[in-house]
Parts: sequence; C-alpha cells; structure tokens
Amino acid sequence: MAPETKICAQHIDFFYGRTRALKDISLDIYANRVTALIGPSGCGKSTFIRLINRMNDLIPGTRVEGKIIMDGLDINHPRTDVVDLRRRVGMVFQKPNPFPKSIYENMSYGLRINGMKDRNFIEQRVVSALKKAALYDDVKDRLHESALMLSGGQQQRLCIARCLVVEPEVILFDEPCASLDPISTRKIEELILELKKDYTIVIVTHNMQQAARVSDYTAFMYMGELVEYDLTEKIFTVPKERMTEEYLSGKFG
Amino acid sequence: MGKRSFTTMTMFILLAVMTLTAHAVSAVAADRAIIVKGSTTVLPVIQVAAEIFMDKNPEANISVQGGGSGVGIASLLDKTTDIATSSRKIKPEEIEKAKASGINVNEIPIAIDGIAVIVHPVNTVKAMTRTQIREIYTGKITDWSQLGGRKGKIVVVTRDTSSGTFEAFEALALNKEKVRPDALSSASNQAVAQTVAQTPGAVGYVGHGYLTPRVKAVAVDGVQCTKQAIQSEKYPLSRYLYVYTNGRPSGDVQRFINFILSKEGQRLVEEEGFVDILK
Amino acid sequence: MSAMKIQRKALVTLKEGAYKWLFATLAFASLVFLVGIVFTLLTESLPVFSKIRPTSFLFGPFWYPTADPPEMGIWPLITASFAVTAGAMVVCVPIGVGTALFIHELAGRRQRAFLKPVIEILAGIPSIVYGFFGMVVVAPILQDLLGIPTGLCAFTASLVLGIMATPTVASLAEDALSFVPRSFREASLALGANRWQTLTRVVMPAAGSGISTAVILGMGRAVGETMTVLMVAGGAAMVPKSLFDPVRPMTSTIAAEMGEAVMGSLHYNALFAIGLMLFLITLGVNIIAEIISRRFRLKLGLGR
Ligand SMILES: Nc1ncnc2c1ncn2[C@@H]1O[C@H](COP(=O)(O)OP(=O)(O)OP(=O)(O)O)[C@@H](O)[C@H]1O
Ligand SMILES: [Mg+2]
Repeated sequence: MAPETKICAQHIDFFYGRTRALKDISLDIYANRVTALIGPSGCGKSTFIRLINRMNDLIPGTRVEGKIIMDGLDINHPRTDVVDLRRRVGMVFQKPNPFPKSIYENMSYGLRINGMKDRNFIEQRVVSALKKAALYDDVKDRLHESALMLSGGQQQRLCIARCLVVEPEVILFDEPCASLDPISTRKIEELILELKKDYTIVIVTHNMQQAARVSDYTAFMYMGELVEYDLTEKIFTVPKERMTEEYLSGKFG
Repeated sequence: MGKRSFTTMTMFILLAVMTLTAHAVSAVAADRAIIVKGSTTVLPVIQVAAEIFMDKNPEANISVQGGGSGVGIASLLDKTTDIATSSRKIKPEEIEKAKASGINVNEIPIAIDGIAVIVHPVNTVKAMTRTQIREIYTGKITDWSQLGGRKGKIVVVTRDTSSGTFEAFEALALNKEKVRPDALSSASNQAVAQTVAQTPGAVGYVGHGYLTPRVKAVAVDGVQCTKQAIQSEKYPLSRYLYVYTNGRPSGDVQRFINFILSKEGQRLVEEEGFVDILK
Repeated sequence: MSAMKIQRKALVTLKEGAYKWLFATLAFASLVFLVGIVFTLLTESLPVFSKIRPTSFLFGPFWYPTADPPEMGIWPLITASFAVTAGAMVVCVPIGVGTALFIHELAGRRQRAFLKPVIEILAGIPSIVYGFFGMVVVAPILQDLLGIPTGLCAFTASLVLGIMATPTVASLAEDALSFVPRSFREASLALGANRWQTLTRVVMPAAGSGISTAVILGMGRAVGETMTVLMVAGGAAMVPKSLFDPVRPMTSTIAAEMGEAVMGSLHYNALFAIGLMLFLITLGVNIIAEIISRRFRLKLGLGR
C-alpha cells in the first residue's frame, strides 16, 4: 500500500545570487503523510520548502533549476498561477505572525482576498477551520478581539487555522514550535497528527524528538544536499548514512 | 519626589521663567548709553548708523528703540531719551509742554522720506492724484479702467501696518482712512517691488531708494518721483525726517548726529531708501 | 578601617545622588522651558483681554492693529492658517504617503538610492528658500496659468507649504512602513494575496498609527511655518472667500509685526495672544495625534 506522491522534486538547484543553497535535490512528498526536514542550521531546509509555494520569488536575485511537480502542475513554470498555488499550499512560519487585526479578520482574510463576499459562507468556513485547529473553544467568545492578545501557542494555532480556511492541500511548517513552550508544542504536534488525515504536511524542525513523534518520512539535509530520505522509523533506527547517524546522535550540528 | 526636591524643582522653574521674562521687562540699562527713541521709519537708518558709529568709537554706547514718533517726542519731554526721532514735525502743543518742563527743543532734519507709487511697467497708467491713490487703497477704485488704463482688477499691495513706510504712506496719502482688508501685504520694500514687478495689475508703494527698473513710478499730482522733486518738497508724498534733542547737543550725542549728517551718514540714509538732505 | 568603609559608602551614595540629580535636571529642562513659555505667553497676552473681549478678539473680522482706534479681530488670521494648512495637507499627504509607499514597496534598489537622498535634501532646504522660490517662480506661473490677479494667495501658499511638508510626511511614513514586520507581509502573500492586497489590507493598516503620526507632524510643520507663508500667502488680513484670495496666517502676522510693535502696547500683547492661540492649536493637534496612536496601539493589542 504505497502512498500516493503529492509533490515530486526533481534535481533542484537553487541560487541566492552566486551562492548555491540547494544542490541537486530530488525527493517525493507523499499525500496525507507528514514529511520532516532535518539538518543543521543553514543547510537549506527553509529554502527548500519555500520553493514549494514560491515564496522565494520575493527575494531578488534568486534562481531555481530543476522541476517541482505537484499533482501534475509544474510549480516553477512561469505561467503557473502563484496566487492559486499559494492557496493550495499553505504555510506556517517559525514565529506566529497573526495580522494586527481581530481574530475573525485574520481568519477571513484568505477568503476575502479571493473575492469571497458571502458572510454566512465566510463565517461557516472560519468556524470550521478554528475547530479543526482546536482553537475554537479558546476564542469563540472573543472573535472580534485583537489576535495579538492571544498567547504564543494560540497565535500559532490561529496561523494554522488561517491557512486551513482557504482549504489548502499541502501545509508547510517552518519550525512552527521554535518559539513555543512544551505544552503549546505538544498541542501543535497533536494538531499536525490530526491534520494529516486531510492534508499533506511538510515540517522543518530542529527537534529530533518532534520529527520522530510527528513525521512518517524524514529527510536529512546537509550543506544544501539531501543526504538521506526514508521512513522516519528507518532514519531514526537504522540510518544508511554515517552522517545521518552522527547528526542524530548529536555528534555535530 | 520628596518635599525638598519639589521645592528645588519649583525654584528651577521660577529661575527659568525669570530668565525668560527678564528681557521683556528690563529696558536696556547699560551705563551712560545714549538712548535714541522714536519713529519706526527712522529706526533702520539710526540702527545702521549707530552700529558703524560704535565700531568707530568703541567707547560710545548707543541704544536704539522704536515706538513711533509720538513716543519718541514724549520720551524727550520726560527726559527718558537723549535723542527723539520723528517722521513728522513736532506739534505746537508738544513744544508748549516742552517749555513747561524746561526743555529746549532742538530740531535737526536728517533725511527725506519720499514714497514712490509703483505699477507694473506694462501698465498704461502714468499718473495719479493723491485722491485717486487714497481711493485705490481704501477700495473705492477697483479697476484700472477707472483710471483710464486697460480694464483689469487692481491688485493693491501695501506694507505691514507697523512698518515705517506704511506709516509715512498713511500719513501722506491715506488721510487716516483704512486700507482695504484684502490688500496684499508685504514685509519689506523689496518684497513690494518684487510683487509689483511680477503682477501686471498691481499697484504698490516703496521708499524712493527702492525703485528699480522692473517697476514704474507714477507721477503724483503731476509731479514725477525724482530725487530733486523730493528734495525740493514738490513731490507730494514726501516728508522730512527729524531728530530732536534737548538744547544743542554735546559730547557723543553731538558726534553721533554729526556722523548722520556727514557724507558717510547720508550715504547710509540713501542705502535705507531715503533721500539725503540738501546742504 | 571600618570608618574608611563608611566614608567610601557615603561617597558612593553621594555620587549616585549627584547623577540622579544631573539627569533629573536634564530631563526636566524641557518641562522648565515649556512652563516658561506658557507663563510668558499668558502674562504677555492676557492684558489684551482687559481691553478687547475674547470673543471679539477671536471672531472679529478685521485686523487693523495700528489704526486709531485699533481693531483686533484675528478671525481672518485663524481662517487663513486653517485654509493654508488644509491646502498643504491636500498636497503633502498624497505625495508624502505615496512617495513612502513607492520607496518602500515598489522602488528598486537604484530608485531607492536616488529618491531617499532627494527627499532628505528637500527636507534640509531652509524655509526662506522655499518662500523665495514660491514668490519668484511658483506665484507668477500660477498667476499666468490660472489667470488670477495675483499668484500670492492661499493656493500658492498651500502648494509651497505642502511641498515643504512632504519630506517630513514621506520619511516618517516610510519609517512607519519599515517598522511593519516582514512576517505580516509573508503571511499575507503566503495566503495568496497579491502585492497590492498585502499593501492595502495588511501593511498600511499596520503602519496606520505611524502614518497618521507622520501626517500630523507634517500638519504641525505646515501650521507653524512662518517664513514661507510670509512670502507667498499675500498677507491680506481678510477671511478668504476662495482659495485664490491672499491670506495672512497667524504665524506670518506675528513675524511681520512683532519687530515693529511697541513693547508693552496693546498690539504687542495681541501678537502674544496670537502666539497663545497657535500654541493651543498645536497642543490640540498633538493631543489628537496621541489619541489616534493610542487607539491604534489598542487595536494592535500592544499594551495601552
Ligand atoms: N535571502 C537570502 N540571501 C542569501 N542567502 C540566503 C538567504 N536566505 C538563506 N540564505 C543562505 O542559504 C543557505 C540556506 O539557508 P536556509 O535558510 O534555507 O537554511 P535552514 O536550513 O532553513 O537553516 P535554519 O535551520 O537556521 O533555519 C544558508 O547558507 C543561508 O545563508
Ligand atoms: Mg530555516
């Protein structure tokens, strides 16, 4: 029962000006699975996941080679509709970044920018996304208060809920728990496990236990290269590469 | 904040307030300074003259104040000034008062103020009567066609009401009537000349010394505004400017007045836009 | 031995006390000046109201301070200040905020490297130069272009003042925009918003309080500006009926007349009273600015 491939990266090279940040990366990301990216700081994890929703477009002077295909869509093709792509591929950042608006406005933003006007529809979507993100009970009585009044963990769950509203297929997490306490982290992890039923998830993390707990597949990167990619169990128990083993046992990093 | 520090703070504040208001309260009280007080028209001349005079005579100390001709003469009468400046002749009743308080009024003309009425060079109007000028400035005449010129709104340019030139113009041409409130008002003679030079419909007035080729002076009551006409008192918008002293001046006062009357002093008079007196 | 210790301790205490005093004095210096200024304004201006009723001072339609008897109504001066300031805002808010947005959002590195110094130079030009430029260049051009009797009018003053206040608004608004965390932008773009939506719905509202502060400080610059209006506003003490009437704002009235007014005279006091009015107006503007930015802060949830 091999899982279905959702995203297929083929021979990706990426340059920040002259610096080559990714070197010939090929990997498949499977639908309804959690794929973790691990590796020492600066190895290109963020660079890689930001290619999936083309956030690197915003950085002047960058260049990508190779192909990323998602359900047959060539992501890097110049005619690809970036707005639609970003709707299909949501992203949650390292630091919770709710807008300085009310909780409700944060939630409805993704729908409104896409021209949605039907109030009932918006409300329905907002409520259901908040429920999915396990935040509804926390905030149902103060939807119109500023999102910045929430705790860090709640803010991060709001950010997750905010991308759920537009019903993406893939969610990219770039170190989502880096600024959170253990309890909030635990909640986010539970949430990720819950979400994988409906979404394809890619998560960058520096926390090995976290990768072990939440992910089905793990990719270990080093200096812009993909060193090893396999089922998480295998990576953590019987890594093929010595470098992976050394990294996991904390010999370097 | 403790009680003691509060008191200290209060003292600080009081000190600052005192310093700030001090300049407003104290009349300049340097020792043995010659005080010159009076007409704002004469003020600029006296000021430059005093500066140069003090440069040449470092021991001399001259304090120059405005206030208006009336204030200057009143100060002379109550002996709070050494020299009164005035843009008008002293009045008979003021002489009476002077006599009563034992003051011997001594009059010395130092310059002539001649006010040129100017228009844009393209304006076809070449002459006006004093009545017409008054009616323009008070708002009875509003269009050049009423003066035989080409049709067009008259843009009236005046000086700030506290300036000496305004004072002179008011005295010589306005007959105590008020300038229309929508008249443009400029802060200096040069600004008036500039405004008139760039506004075809404008009329303004400046001291004779500020006439430039970029504006045209009109004849007033048939007399052209020339230096000779002003010196001979034929030009109607002209008047002598005086200084008054108590008795014949002596010492630094005398030397200062002599300096104003000297060739160099009269050159300063011309530089300030007035006409030098014939000797 | 222990005596020395105690001595040293006392010295340290003394030193600390001295530092505390020094900085407290410095900190309170501005307060002292404020109090001094208010005190001076009040003492010098109040005598006016013993001769002229406050209502006729404020709302009197004529300003003939040196006439006999004097007429001292500053309504024309107040309306002039408001008209010119409002006009200047119409010019400097769109240009200033637009410039800030362009520099911040659209300009490439080269355009930015060119525009920023230009704005700084514009900000550094002394106001008298603006005044001169307005009087000798802008006024005649507008006069010909619009066929108005004189170019020295509220419109020209607004235009020149507006250009003058533009750098203030532009650079402060740009600061405000750059304080918006990049993460807001990224969040918006990652949700599929385009640049324009991100700008208008996320960045600008987030920079709102900073931008309104910029606008208000620009307004402060316009209200308080003296030299320029003195040279280009025309100086007619009359309630303007149109934008193209010459006007005499409060600042230029004080500047033009203070030098010549007899110290201690009614006219002198009246000029101080105008100063007091200006002070109260700027105070009001600042209070409004504070309220606005506080509201924004509340809305952003950044403490109160
Ligand atoms: N905007 C940029 N311009 C130039 N170089 C960049 C830029 N962003 C990242 N890099 C470089 O690209 C390489 C990969 O960076 P990246 O942020 O992808 O690493 P990472 O694995 O996410 O690290 P971390 O775990 O610290 O987040 C690094 O060497 C980094 O210095
Ligand atoms: Mg990273």
